[in-house]
Amino acid sequence: MSQRISKSGPRTALLGRVVGAGLMCAAVLVGATVGPTSALAAKKPKKQVPLIVYSAQGYDQAMVHAFQAATGIPTKLDTNSTGPLLAQIQASKNNPHWGLLWVDGQTAFAELDDEHLLVRHFEPKVRWNALGKEVVPKDESFVPTGVTLMAAVAYTSKVVKDPPASWSTLLSTRWRGDVGMNTPTQSGPTYPFIAGIMNELGSVTKGKQYFERLKANGLVIHTTNGPTLAALASGQIKLALVQSSAAIGAEHTDPTLKVKYLSPVTMLPSNIGIDAKATRTEIAEAKRFARFVLSKLGQAVMKTGTPTGDSLYYPVVRGIKPRPELPGLSSVKVQHTNPYVWGPREGSINSWFVDTITK
Amino acid sequence: MTLADHKAPLGRLTAAWSALRFGMWGLVALFIIVPCVFFLSLSVSPRLFDQGPEWFTLEYLKTIFTGTTAVSIVNSLWVSTSAATLGLLIGLPVAWLAGRTSLPGRRFVSFGMWLVLLIPSWLPGIGWERLVVKDGVLTRFGMGSGLVTHAIMGPFGVVLVLGLRAVPFAYLTITASLAGLGQEFEDAARVHGASRAAALRVVLPILGPAIWSALAIGFAESISDFGVAYTLAYNTHFSLATYQLYAAIANFPPSFPAAAAIGLVLVTSVALPLAFQARALRGRSYAVLSGRTRQAVRRQLSTAEAVFASGVVALFFVLSLGAPAVGTVTGSLLADFGASTRITLENYSGVLHVPGMAGPIYRSLAYGAVTASVTVVAGFVVARLLSRRRTRSTALLDFLLLATVALPGVVFAAGYIFAYNLPILSRLGIDLYQTVWLLLIGYIASSLPTNARLLVGPVSQVQSSLHEAARAHGAGPARAWLSGVLPAVSRPVVMAWLFTFCGIFLELPMSQLLYAPGSPPLSVAINLNIAGYHFGLGLAQAVIGVAIALCVVSFVLLAYRLFAPRGWRRIGSTLRG
Repeated sequence: MSQRISKSGPRTALLGRVVGAGLMCAAVLVGATVGPTSALAAKKPKKQVPLIVYSAQGYDQAMVHAFQAATGIPTKLDTNSTGPLLAQIQASKNNPHWGLLWVDGQTAFAELDDEHLLVRHFEPKVRWNALGKEVVPKDESFVPTGVTLMAAVAYTSKVVKDPPASWSTLLSTRWRGDVGMNTPTQSGPTYPFIAGIMNELGSVTKGKQYFERLKANGLVIHTTNGPTLAALASGQIKLALVQSSAAIGAEHTDPTLKVKYLSPVTMLPSNIGIDAKATRTEIAEAKRFARFVLSKLGQAVMKTGTPTGDSLYYPVVRGIKPRPELPGLSSVKVQHTNPYVWGPREGSINSWFVDTITK
Repeated sequence: MTLADHKAPLGRLTAAWSALRFGMWGLVALFIIVPCVFFLSLSVSPRLFDQGPEWFTLEYLKTIFTGTTAVSIVNSLWVSTSAATLGLLIGLPVAWLAGRTSLPGRRFVSFGMWLVLLIPSWLPGIGWERLVVKDGVLTRFGMGSGLVTHAIMGPFGVVLVLGLRAVPFAYLTITASLAGLGQEFEDAARVHGASRAAALRVVLPILGPAIWSALAIGFAESISDFGVAYTLAYNTHFSLATYQLYAAIANFPPSFPAAAAIGLVLVTSVALPLAFQARALRGRSYAVLSGRTRQAVRRQLSTAEAVFASGVVALFFVLSLGAPAVGTVTGSLLADFGASTRITLENYSGVLHVPGMAGPIYRSLAYGAVTASVTVVAGFVVARLLSRRRTRSTALLDFLLLATVALPGVVFAAGYIFAYNLPILSRLGIDLYQTVWLLLIGYIASSLPTNARLLVGPVSQVQSSLHEAARAHGAGPARAWLSGVLPAVSRPVVMAWLFTFCGIFLELPMSQLLYAPGSPPLSVAINLNIAGYHFGLGLAQAVIGVAIALCVVSFVLLAYRLFAPRGWRRIGSTLRG
């Protein structure tokens, strides 16, 4: 949505608009000059239908504009939180009206794939980097477009001089009542974090024990990244376990806010899945959209669309560098949880979390 | 003119009314009953809409009697009862003070009530939290108290916030009825030697329909509220049924059958206030508004009474508007999530400089205006049906409408997807899902029940003699209605229009699931910012949205004052002094 903008002041906002306008012009030029022979505009469908994009990405509006400018394909955006988008897909699965889904996290995609709701065996021909290779699904039923991490530990250097060094440290009395996180039923990125902890500890049971101990140590649960970071700022908590992009983005608004990754940190890829029941034309358009997103131009739009939000991601394509604000990953273990293993467990684990930890 | 000449138009009128009645039933069935029944049927038959393998199961209904779900349902029932009662206990005296006494600043009471009504319920939730949490605003200003924190961050706080939100419903319902209540009843009691208290005992039962209506709406609105359940209640680990329902849908994969089972309980729960209402009002007539209704005299308060009454009313507004204001200030005027006390307009500047921001605002304004206009007409017809002789059909309609109020918007929205996105409809060329039309129909259908209940009190007061008198003076059916009935109900109709407009302008759950791609309403834009990275920006958008809605309210009320014939305003306000 274009409503989501940088909070780092009018100057940054202006800069963002200038960059956005430049990219838009570039998109038009690309569309006008490369013609049907380019990779982006390959196999132009005979008749265009509106491509319906279900997206929870901050830069989706910018991307849709750029895509339309480059290809001429009419594109309609349903931008929403992940939960309502998935609820719509589930409720309308007998008569779907979406063309592609673009949200964070892979477990939902794995489940949609298991229900045969996604187009399989399609990946854009790009050179994946190490992160990308790890998160591409075997049956190529969805396309990773970037990676954020769950959970980053956000803290205020005014209050916390010595941040925790490991996940187990959070269980000590030193942090009693000071740790906050989101609830997985309202925050899409939170289940992958819970699954990541369980994966690291070796079993669901051990993971549950960890969160129960965290709760016993005064874990504070808020709804989503925004309220959890607000609780950190107001002093209600001292450590916020939130999505890396949200934490790093908040650094813009509060210079004393710092971010630390604890090993292992879990990858939260953003992905595009294409509706298997869409018309052939719309599927072709959706594939072009996915190719466009992973092109240099598309990646530039992703990196500038929301400079203090979703644009703070780690690219999955070779040759694309992350934004300079993002810390390096060389000193931290980054893990990927298999969505086909952890996806089917999502409902029961989330219910357990709500009944046991949130309560 | 012969007798036959009189009978012919009368027959046409009766036929037209019957057609209107059946038409209304048809629309209620199509756009309220069908979507709700489709959704609720999932609780026993998930296979119906491919949401599970079972054609018939009781598994999901069993879950409502166990664990957290059972606790949340019990919580919702007692909290909603308490909130509705609190709303009436505050709303009734405030309505009387503002409507029948010389309360200083009484002209601002109605405006303040609209403001309370305008604010989305999550805002007071966030506001109270920010006030009382550890290191919250009160603590920073040296006024923190563990006792207050403990009280607000728990069931008491939830009842308080929901109760304060129920006050405008009680106030508007009772004000509308008070406006039609002339002086003659109080005079009659006083003439027969009754004291002021005894006269009150005569007058209060005449307000019976309005009082019961206020209680029923307060209960239904509280039990279906999601804003407080999602914020204050959730963050204090006090689970309410609407949150459990939402969690069932927002979880992945969504469990619509589990949500439907909870929805079924919410629907059934409104039978309680309706049963009490029916028992209390059975066999009585409350038609008091006629051409002979005498204007009431405003009671002059003594200085001490005026100070006390003003203090009570001011306290109400401080509690219901002050807390949301704090939430807004800390959230939207502080750039850094409220970490410091440096005030900045950065978020507002951000909102105003975003290209494309105007689209969702214009869209929501248009949606609100269209919905309110259609709903008021339909609501009047339904209110008239309900205010006529009580039959099984009207009792059923009454229950269905109130049951709909008790259903959270997300249920309605999901029901619309199941009902109006059937493959067979698409094959017939009817593709309503993800169009503006279905969203508007959903808005109207979800607004109609509350609207009708707001109007049923005033409409039940209108005696048929008003219409008959106009007819006797030679007016045709339509003109008789316009000149005989409309003036008497114009004020409540305007209030119902405003209420519906405000409700739709910032409506979220239905908008989220049903909006047409490419045309997001304002609430969706606000929610994306608050839930995501731009908490302050989202709050600034919400404040701007509330301000716009308030401007619309002010404009409409001013237009009514300036352009409505003087007689309309006088009939609608049986008061002098």
